Amino acid sequence: MQDRFKPVCKNARLAGVLLLSLWLLILTGCAATPRLAANTEQTLPREAMIEGVPFHAQREYQCGPASLAMVLNHDGVDVAMERLIPQVFIPGREGSVQPEMLATVRRHGRIPYVLNDSLDALLTEIAAGHPVVVMQNLSLPAWPMWHYAVAIGYDLEASELILHSGEEAERIESFRRFDATWARSERWAFVALSPGELPSGVSEQRALQAISAFEQVHGAGATLPAWEAFTARFSASSMGHFALGNARYATGDAPGAIEAFRTSVAHRDDLGVAWLNLGLVLLAQGETDEARQALGRAAELPGDWQPRAREALERL
Amino acid sequence: MKTLRRFLSPLLILALVLGSVSVSAAPLPTSELVSTQAALSAERGDADRERINEILSRTEVQEQLVAQGVDLAEVEARVAALSDEEARQMAEQLDQLPAGASVVGALLLVFLVLLVTDILGLTNVFPFTR
Repeated sequence: MQDRFKPVCKNARLAGVLLLSLWLLILTGCAATPRLAANTEQTLPREAMIEGVPFHAQREYQCGPASLAMVLNHDGVDVAMERLIPQVFIPGREGSVQPEMLATVRRHGRIPYVLNDSLDALLTEIAAGHPVVVMQNLSLPAWPMWHYAVAIGYDLEASELILHSGEEAERIESFRRFDATWARSERWAFVALSPGELPSGVSEQRALQAISAFEQVHGAGATLPAWEAFTARFSASSMGHFALGNARYATGDAPGAIEAFRTSVAHRDDLGVAWLNLGLVLLAQGETDEARQALGRAAELPGDWQPRAREALERL
Repeated sequence: MKTLRRFLSPLLILALVLGSVSVSAAPLPTSELVSTQAALSAERGDADRERINEILSRTEVQEQLVAQGVDLAEVEARVAALSDEEARQMAEQLDQLPAGASVVGALLLVFLVLLVTDILGLTNVFPFTR
């Protein structure tokens, strides 16, 4: 009997081994050591390490608050991890979710910028001295084990990343292993910067949304330096100059606002809302003729703000 | 949540309509500028509908967070710090959003598979495999 069964067992085992190796091959196929763009490879320092990022060992499920405390403390925000737990942790989920991670940064007076999903962007920020919060799935997609950590250094020669992670400070992870776990969160990462600083690779739209969301919570005064920095970086962004004009006007700088609105419409003549605000500020300054011109242009342009422009023009 | 939406939507629409009527009927000319946030959301699409959705989203998120055990005293400030986009995301898919620090079911098979993938450098579950 035993003899008769042996080959079957052997075949089954072989089949099993084959299946497993095939499956693992497929998995490893998606997890090669990530390559950097040639451009990044040339310009990045060979290694970098941000000194003085405080380490907070996480308790149970609190890698979210711990990671936040590390980046916020590093940037000079004096907030204890214990204070952050009730602000970001969700007991029912035994964890913290991405939107609230960003919102909590905002609450503490820093602007959260989500980076674009590449190792290049991550390393570039580290080289610029900005610790980066990353989200990883340390396990497989079928049994996720989500985790936040703070990337603080790297070594290109060794292909290694250095992270404050979980209960371990300055943990070293190979790019390959890190990227495999990071890719499962669609390479989600963010930096927390003071208004006035911008991440180097951020896109215009993303930065615009991030700063605008910050302004909604903290008002124009606190956000003004961010708009100044934004328009210096994206000098052709008409929306950026429009936002700068609004922030300047709200902080009592009418001439500065007029200048910004003028720059805005110089870059995009059909931005009705900028013409409208330009007209309204000119009107408030008593420059009736110029106001009439600006409002006239706003009233010509179809869109959401046309009725308001017409109304303002009629009142003149 | 559906019933809440059905009940709140008309109220909100009414409130917003009345709000805009009183503004346009005001005797004094309003010289208030269009805010950056309003301009940006108008660039994205229908501003009024977004506004209603946003208010609904935020109340929904508050309820969901309280149901998930978040302290009542904290919940309002937490929701206030969310951007419109984040509030919408939370309202629509809080259950599906990955939460940092979930745990793995401790099945033996899972343990073995993860052990192998850990050794292969695909995962990072067990500290002793590095």
